Amino acid sequence: MEKRSLWQFGTREVVFAAIGAALYGVLSWVTNFLALPAAGNLSLRPAVAIPMFFGIAFGPIVGFLTGAVGNILGDFLSGYGFWWSWDIGNGLMGLIPGLIYQSITNYKSGSSIFRAELFAALGVIVGMLFSSLLEIPLSGVDLNTALVGYFTPSALSNLINGLILLPILMVAYDAIASRSGR
Amino acid sequence: MLVAWRYRIRNSVLEKIDPRTRWLVSFLILIAITQFWDIRFLLFFFVLVIFQYVLSRLTWRETFRAWLFILFFIVFIVGINTLISGRAGPTAVLQGTHTFWTGSVTLPLVNWTITINLTLEKLFFAMTQIVRMLSMAILFFIIPFTIDPRTYGISFSGLGMPDRFAFSMDLAFRFVPTLTRDFSVTLDAQRARGFEIEKLDGGIFAQIRKLAPLLVPVTMNAILSGEDITNAMDLRCFGLRKRTWAQALTYRWWDKALIAFGIVVAVASLVIRWGFGIGQFWMPDWFLNLI
Repeated sequence: MEKRSLWQFGTREVVFAAIGAALYGVLSWVTNFLALPAAGNLSLRPAVAIPMFFGIAFGPIVGFLTGAVGNILGDFLSGYGFWWSWDIGNGLMGLIPGLIYQSITNYKSGSSIFRAELFAALGVIVGMLFSSLLEIPLSGVDLNTALVGYFTPSALSNLINGLILLPILMVAYDAIASRSGR
Repeated sequence: MLVAWRYRIRNSVLEKIDPRTRWLVSFLILIAITQFWDIRFLLFFFVLVIFQYVLSRLTWRETFRAWLFILFFIVFIVGINTLISGRAGPTAVLQGTHTFWTGSVTLPLVNWTITINLTLEKLFFAMTQIVRMLSMAILFFIIPFTIDPRTYGISFSGLGMPDRFAFSMDLAFRFVPTLTRDFSVTLDAQRARGFEIEKLDGGIFAQIRKLAPLLVPVTMNAILSGEDITNAMDLRCFGLRKRTWAQALTYRWWDKALIAFGIVVAVASLVIRWGFGIGQFWMPDWFLNLI
């Protein structure tokens, strides 16, 4: 399948950004609502793999919109309101893995999966750090509260959930990638 | 499984306001609130956002989840942390001398003894902090309850977002019911095959991995149908010309007045804070004289 340029935003990207966002929103909402068992402080949030995967499969802009709009939708559905700084952080979680979109052609190979995991981890750290640090000027919390109270729990849970499920999605996508796309 | 947006028609005053105005004014007020640490100014904004909340005609039943979420975060995590440590506060707070309670707590396991010294300064700072954060939270959390989801695309397009992005957002709202149905069908199909989502066993890693039979089919089906949608939209020449929208938004006189109000409040706040240097943390003398 031919790779499109990194920052292109054509019809295909419009559709996949919308699908990704709706998926992220719906999955974060239903997994909340099904009350999955949680081990310790880590919650099962399988949905966080969606923005990372959409970034890797469809590019950084799709990844960003999937994370940002998807988080807005999830909060809207759950009735939590609107938290724009965390929406941008979730967007970054999709944008950063999207930066290696062009270099990944074989979704099954070990090296692709390794690079994808690396950038997904980077995305989680940068994205969650961005939102946590933005709480300092916004809410006036101090650096310690931002890092311990906000950053660590959110980044840890996103890292574990995302990094386990991302390779599974990539391998599954490899099977349909050859049939899809133009 | 039914999807319900939190929005419904309530015939409130807020719904008469153009959604573009709502977004603009909300962000202008947010800019204004972030300038201040003085509880007198913050109380003005607090009254303002409470007034907006009252106008929205929301009921407790609809909003209690959001309230619990907000109050938990603000009162427990930030409020108590600030009260105990006074962190992020100005020197007047950190070096406050009006102690009203001292005690020490020994942490279990590690046997660290922490001396807690509560001062009136810290108490007042924590109160200021809570008022400030509550104002910002109440300002924004009513948005999903009071803005019609059908108008998000056109609102953002009207605020200058490129059409393709605005349409993508619109489409995302449109896909939510479809994908929820797909998820529900997949869950039932996997349950019929013996998948028990309520009884995932193993450690945390194994549990997350066991969610794959749910996540993968839903995602892959959505991607495959996305290809068809892309083709259908391309065949209809999507994006070749400037888009028109099914609904039209118009600014009325009250929208213009509200935007003007927002701009005046934001500019005035910036001038008061940075021009006159007013609005930093403030404590009334009578409060310190309590002990």
